[in-house]
Amino acid sequence: MGTFIQLVVDGLSTGSIYAALALAIVLVNQATGLINFAQGGLAVLSGYVAYAFVQAGLPLVVAIILAVALSFVLGALAERFLVRRFERGDPDTAVVVTIGLLTLITGIIAVIWSYNNLGFPSLFPLTSVDILGAVVSVRSLATTVTIVVIMVVLQLLFLRTKLGLALRAVADSPASSALSGLPVGRLLMVGWGLAAALGAVAGVLVAPQLTLTPGMLDTALVYALAAVILGGLSSPIGCVVAAWAIGVLENLVAVYVPFIGHDLKIAVPFALIFVILILRPQGLFGRKVVVRV
Amino acid sequence: MRKNTRPRGVLGIVAVAAVIALSASGCTRGGTNQGGGSNAASPGITDSSITLGITTPLSGAIAGQGTCTVAGVTAYFGALNAAGGVKFGDGKTRTVNIKSYDDGYDPQKSLANFQQMVSDNVFAATAGLGTPTNRAFREAAISQKVPQVLVMTGDPLFSDRKQSPWQLGFVPIYQNEGAAFGKLIAGSGQPHKVAILSQNDDYGKGYVQGFKDAIKGASNVSVVGEQTYEATDTSVDAQLTQLASSGADVFFDAMSITPLAIASLQKAQQLGWKPSWFLPSNTSSPAAILGPGGAAAYPGIYSVSFAKAPQSPAFAKDPDVVKFLADLKQYAKYPDMPAFPHCMWSYMVGATLEQAFKTMTEPTRDSFMTALRNVKGLQAPLMLSGTSVDTTTDGQPAVSSVLVQKYDGKGYATVQNFG
Amino acid sequence: MRNPLSAKPLSVEPQSVKPVATGNRTVRIVVLVLVAVVLLLAPLNLPPFANQTLVRIGVYAVAVLGLNIVMGYTGQVNLGQIFFVGLGAYVTAYGVKQGWNILLVFVLACLIAGVVGLLVALAAARLGGLAIAMVTIALPIVGVPLAKRLEGFTGGSQGISARFTDAPDWSGLYNDQWQYYIILLVTAAGFLLARNLVRGKYGRAFGVVKENEAVAASMGVSPYRTKVLAFTVASIFGGASGFLYLAAVQYTSPETLSFGHSISLLAAMVIGGAGSIAGSLIGGAYYVLVPLLTNAVDPGLTTVSQGAILLIVLFLLPEGLVSLPRVLRRITGRNRDRPGAPQRTVPAPAPGAGSEKQADQHQTEHQAIPDQTDQQQTIQHQTGRQDQA
Repeated sequence: MGTFIQLVVDGLSTGSIYAALALAIVLVNQATGLINFAQGGLAVLSGYVAYAFVQAGLPLVVAIILAVALSFVLGALAERFLVRRFERGDPDTAVVVTIGLLTLITGIIAVIWSYNNLGFPSLFPLTSVDILGAVVSVRSLATTVTIVVIMVVLQLLFLRTKLGLALRAVADSPASSALSGLPVGRLLMVGWGLAAALGAVAGVLVAPQLTLTPGMLDTALVYALAAVILGGLSSPIGCVVAAWAIGVLENLVAVYVPFIGHDLKIAVPFALIFVILILRPQGLFGRKVVVRV
Repeated sequence: MRKNTRPRGVLGIVAVAAVIALSASGCTRGGTNQGGGSNAASPGITDSSITLGITTPLSGAIAGQGTCTVAGVTAYFGALNAAGGVKFGDGKTRTVNIKSYDDGYDPQKSLANFQQMVSDNVFAATAGLGTPTNRAFREAAISQKVPQVLVMTGDPLFSDRKQSPWQLGFVPIYQNEGAAFGKLIAGSGQPHKVAILSQNDDYGKGYVQGFKDAIKGASNVSVVGEQTYEATDTSVDAQLTQLASSGADVFFDAMSITPLAIASLQKAQQLGWKPSWFLPSNTSSPAAILGPGGAAAYPGIYSVSFAKAPQSPAFAKDPDVVKFLADLKQYAKYPDMPAFPHCMWSYMVGATLEQAFKTMTEPTRDSFMTALRNVKGLQAPLMLSGTSVDTTTDGQPAVSSVLVQKYDGKGYATVQNFG
Repeated sequence: MRNPLSAKPLSVEPQSVKPVATGNRTVRIVVLVLVAVVLLLAPLNLPPFANQTLVRIGVYAVAVLGLNIVMGYTGQVNLGQIFFVGLGAYVTAYGVKQGWNILLVFVLACLIAGVVGLLVALAAARLGGLAIAMVTIALPIVGVPLAKRLEGFTGGSQGISARFTDAPDWSGLYNDQWQYYIILLVTAAGFLLARNLVRGKYGRAFGVVKENEAVAASMGVSPYRTKVLAFTVASIFGGASGFLYLAAVQYTSPETLSFGHSISLLAAMVIGGAGSIAGSLIGGAYYVLVPLLTNAVDPGLTTVSQGAILLIVLFLLPEGLVSLPRVLRRITGRNRDRPGAPQRTVPAPAPGAGSEKQADQHQTEHQAIPDQTDQQQTIQHQTGRQDQA
């Protein structure tokens, strides 16, 4: 029983890593209607920027705040000067543009900071606490709490604020948003900026555990995408719950279903997606999109 | 429809031009006859220079290690070239040029790079990292009689003379490293319960196989838990939780991923599991892994090695290490402290190649292979005393002896006994 | 005319186009013969490395072609194409090791990939948009550990070597030349088949499903069955590409089907030109040549230069490299008849607009579906942004 609870707790903390990135993906999708492969790359870049500030002698908190602010600017600029050109075109092209951006960012990071692992300091100590007989580090606990806070803020942003409503309107239909007087261009920039800033938070949250490398979030990105689809593209709560579910289920299946084991456990989230989407095409928490003809 | 005529016209011109170009270019095969004459120099070697090629991952997940494999060789020959070059066995002094190619750990690309090397007149491929990427062009290298030597893979296939006549591995086969630790445990006389975590590929499997072979028949050692992980995993918490519950007092952790090694050192502590710990040679860096992982909390961290660790205070003033770091900085544009042992290994590859160059009597690949297979007792720079380069044993790579070392809080010290 | 997809009017259409250019037909035949002659003679005159490079381009052109059928033509995101390439390669390696007849091995490589593709598609095509993308992502992601697990068939993580493309003595050819001809044969056949497929009634069905599934259904085209068909065809091409992969590389390992390569294939398809047969060939060339180019520039900077090249190309040519002649023509044409040629400036479409892409493939398509743009505007897909915003 002790092992079982520990596996669940471990799964939750691994799931939190996926959730952090998944939230950024949901945000950019809500704000721009695009799946952004560069999200992970931008988050890693923010981690490196924070690292550079720390190296320059700034306190960690200041470095993180600066990195998050810079990421907002960077995300907005990327939208304005790169993605904007493709937003009205074929969505496949836009997706490939984000792939190109991911490659470029990864390459730039490697040129500046090399491919070597760089240790990143954590805001939270590594000391552990007992919960129901399971051990969990203060760091993962704090990461999880931060993610829950972000999730609630995002949910409120989308559902309760004018800005959130405007962002969603622009993503849904830029043409009619423009007709009703919304500043479409600026809203898209804000959407990307917010997503990049959120990605930056995700980056600095997980960097202490994964250590900074240019491809730090490559695997996590796949899990995050799975969580986003599973939770429903439109729901921050859904994607966090899905990310946790993936983390926990993976662990349990790997340990208690020997046939699957640790090597094939990565099939679990996809099997889950498959079953759930057949039953509920809009995802666990997604809103149903009505298709009119 | 008028639109369509233009591209067709263009196409026609292109086609005609191509046919003319082709018929004008004539046969291009004549010059590259390689089998024949005894004294004709092989491609890639002139009276004043020799060109070596390295295909290795310089992008992607293991680019850090790959960069090191290029940096070490480049640094070694950079220093020699600056001093005038290498005096070959045929009496001529040559400079050594290194061409590197990125394969991103993709077998298809490493084969393409090999084909390009042949076209670029490279004398031999060397020092490349990776089992699948080296296997992908192994047969092509054999059929074209191009040496593919001192490669960075512990796959035994590359050291089998019969199957791989134009190949030779450099680093100890993975089995050797695992076996060295297995012997130590088996010889301790104490009862031990061992938990095993290994990477799910030939790297992890080789380690585990060597370890298990070494403890076979030792009644004092039993394996109580065995798990695997994928090199792409972000976390091994679940495996550690599982293994911690097995009550093992020795943990054999055949892991090659830096952040996972740090995380597992941290996680086991949190779980209150403090076994003696074994880590392979490429994840045992005191500065990059053991320090951040809090390894001092464990009764013993063991590893195997044949290279002096530049990060270790014990070697800070060692002349080999000082020269190595200076060469890296000056000739290989690698100013940092090496993050991976591959930097040291490929520096030794340079020394081994130099030895072969010095004794090869003809500027041919045949002569080079003969010379390379006759290096014995070479104490390459950075090698720990007690290890040496020996290329004369069939089935073994250039370096086959490793020393078991124990972490002493700062660096490593060689040990004979467990505990 | 409410149903332009029924077989009869469509099969007539291409023929009604042809007679326009009686003189052109001779030109066309001459050009085709010339191209064929060049392709056949090239390997005898080119250096080995050029042949080897052409061989690899053929391998990936077929893979990109398959991807184009399901994505470029039918609009279904597929991030798993590399899985079928790997599957085809493994089947081929296994068959060769067992000493089976090589034709049988080829058929099996296509067939097994096709059957697996069909099974996946039967389930995945029920899902919409991004969900399909996730199911296809799963293929390479799960495929890699699965390939390691099935060691008896795949050789595990050490991979499996199989040589069957060494030139036989009677041919008097070098190995690279022999390989070239094998790959030319399969690639040319693949491209001809694909061309006929997308120009025929199934191609029209693909196009309508891509534009609008609801409209497709109203025209009597089952979006589900069309998607399954496109996906299966793509998988078969993937399997064929895998066969060619083994013919060219003679080795395969789990790394062959790693997810990153799938993303690269997708990028190559879009760069070459989505929804274009010629674009697939260009995409294959891009996939093979760009790493060579970036290696030549600086092997330590391959990632950054590859990213930069991708972005620059798409920035200049959002519809892919295949649109280069058209874009050039547009530029030069605009300059030449500036005073009075409104037809040049008016249709200048938003970059990458879906309907524009197939324009050079079939000029007649716009007449075939006259009201498609009107209907499109009323549709909101779950993926959000649509072509004609």
